[in-house]
Amino acid sequence: MSKQTCCSQANSCMSSETTFSADDLDLSLDDKDNTASPLIVNSYSQVYLKTESERLLLVLPAEEEMVLNMPWSEVWQELKHRLQAREQSWQAGTAVSLLAKDQLLDVRQLQTIAETLSEVNLCLEKVCTSRRQTAVAAATAGYSVEQKAVDVTLNEPSEGKTQALSLADPLYLQNTVRSGVEVRHPGTVVVLGDLNPGGIIIAAGDIFIWGRLRGIAHAGAQGNRQSRILALQMEPTQLRIANVVARAPKVPPKSFESEIAYIASEGIRLSQASDFAKTHSFSEEVGGWADSPPTNNK
Amino acid sequence: MSRIIVVTSGKGGVGKTTVTSNLGAAIAQLGRTVALIDADFGLRNLDILLGLEERVVYTALDVLSGECRLAQALVKDKRIKGLVLLPAAQNRNKESVQPEQMKKITSALTKGYDYILIDSPAGIEMGFRNAIAAATEAIIVTTPEVAAVRDADRVIGLLEAEGIHNIRLIINRVRPEMVQTNKMMSVEDVLELLAVPLVGVIPDDEKVIVATNKGEPLVIAEDYSLPALSFTNIARRLEGEKVPFMDLMAEQNNILTRIRRIFGG
Ligand SMILES: Nc1ncnc2c1ncn2[C@@H]1O[C@H](COP(=O)(O)OP(=O)(O)OP(=O)(O)O)[C@@H](O)[C@H]1O
Ligand SMILES: [Mg+2]
Repeated sequence: MSKQTCCSQANSCMSSETTFSADDLDLSLDDKDNTASPLIVNSYSQVYLKTESERLLLVLPAEEEMVLNMPWSEVWQELKHRLQAREQSWQAGTAVSLLAKDQLLDVRQLQTIAETLSEVNLCLEKVCTSRRQTAVAAATAGYSVEQKAVDVTLNEPSEGKTQALSLADPLYLQNTVRSGVEVRHPGTVVVLGDLNPGGIIIAAGDIFIWGRLRGIAHAGAQGNRQSRILALQMEPTQLRIANVVARAPKVPPKSFESEIAYIASEGIRLSQASDFAKTHSFSEEVGGWADSPPTNNK
Repeated sequence: MSRIIVVTSGKGGVGKTTVTSNLGAAIAQLGRTVALIDADFGLRNLDILLGLEERVVYTALDVLSGECRLAQALVKDKRIKGLVLLPAAQNRNKESVQPEQMKKITSALTKGYDYILIDSPAGIEMGFRNAIAAATEAIIVTTPEVAAVRDADRVIGLLEAEGIHNIRLIINRVRPEMVQTNKMMSVEDVLELLAVPLVGVIPDDEKVIVATNKGEPLVIAEDYSLPALSFTNIARRLEGEKVPFMDLMAEQNNILTRIRRIFGG
């Protein structure tokens, strides 16, 4: 839904490119497209800002929408110019989500974008992308990440059978997920570091934390009850698997074993991770993992 | 090469300005030249803590608007050789300065000072962005409280994203008796979570408040106190010395007697 809105906006921008000058404000009230939110920056530039249900979005063109012969730096310069020329219509420090579509962005490019935004009092917070390299770069640079396979939306958990959904390649993060960072990925997430309190990982697949898990981890976010969450040290604020939520016990049991969280018949359970695979198997009837070694007839 | 260090925290009121003023004084006492920049535009109070309020004539904004030369705006601390303050404007808000302008001023200061300490405003908005724009190092100040540590964690993430990787931690307002009875996070708890190197621990001490109100940095007070020693130790650590951390957990009395012994008091 949001994706479609963006595309149609982008098109309308491009088709009207000659009618807007740098200082033009579109103040017309006859909104042809009432459902869409107003554009804050109307420019023939392909990069633009728009608001969508209280969020401020910076939309980049998809790879095939890029105007030929327009180098990236110029596209960027263009937006920079327009942003600064305009009277600001947002509050200082407003968070911006970057819709990068299938653009390949590295850490440097992301930082340029963040710098440009900060010059006009906007703050890059989240990067939505369908490219894995861009997701990794964004996470490395400390932004929240939402990676969408082109047609999969994490927000709409599918009913019933979930195996049919194909997962994206695992996302491998080599840094601690700190407070305020949210990572979304339509596949498995592996973190070589900690998940700190205030940090969130939402994955369609499994979540592996090679460190301490103290924030919120949501595995099987599209509804897969087989998903597991594993951490070297498990002290979560909250664990979610599919649509089951578990809060941390008030006094965390001091376990120095790595633990694994999974759905059992009574809800989310924690077990010692080292021999989970040998002692548990997934039961379709129960819709969870049972303490029985995997058998050959299943 | 001079060092440009931003003092920041995320959460407000945890002691950024206290650290900037006292640490600045402590570094200057070691014989270095230090410029303090108040980047808390609109809510300046670094000048008050340093007792320099009455001597402020020009501010950073006057420099930026060409109203005065940088040298004219710098307020020299007469008690401590080598320490100057660049005051922030009181009447303008945080949005009236741009990161580029902060960089310009800071780089001009590097020509005359060994250390440039920037006192950041609370929060992670524009004022914070300005404060970190020119910095190549950061000192994170936190108190051993869950909310402060959480904000510190967020700020560390933001600094890393901005390419500032030389980040060190000061834990302020530690109360050993509360840590002992498990009512407060311990230094280890905080360090374990934030995973950045510790540069100092400052006890919660009313002498800090007294010094603040007098406008007199702790290190020049006649009565050399435990928090003053903490600041001197941090200054020495910044200078690359290996100074062992005080054992705040030992009984208060013991520490004080030990310090007195060290300083011949
Ligand atoms: N170690 C300490 N012991 C006792 N009081 C302290 C200590 N450190 C700071 N304080 C007190 O805490 C208060 C807040 O300190 P300070 O103004 O330095 O914080 P800040 O982080 O700069 O605040 P702001 O975010 O508003 O700029 C002051 O009254 C100060 O005297
Ligand atoms: Mg302050």
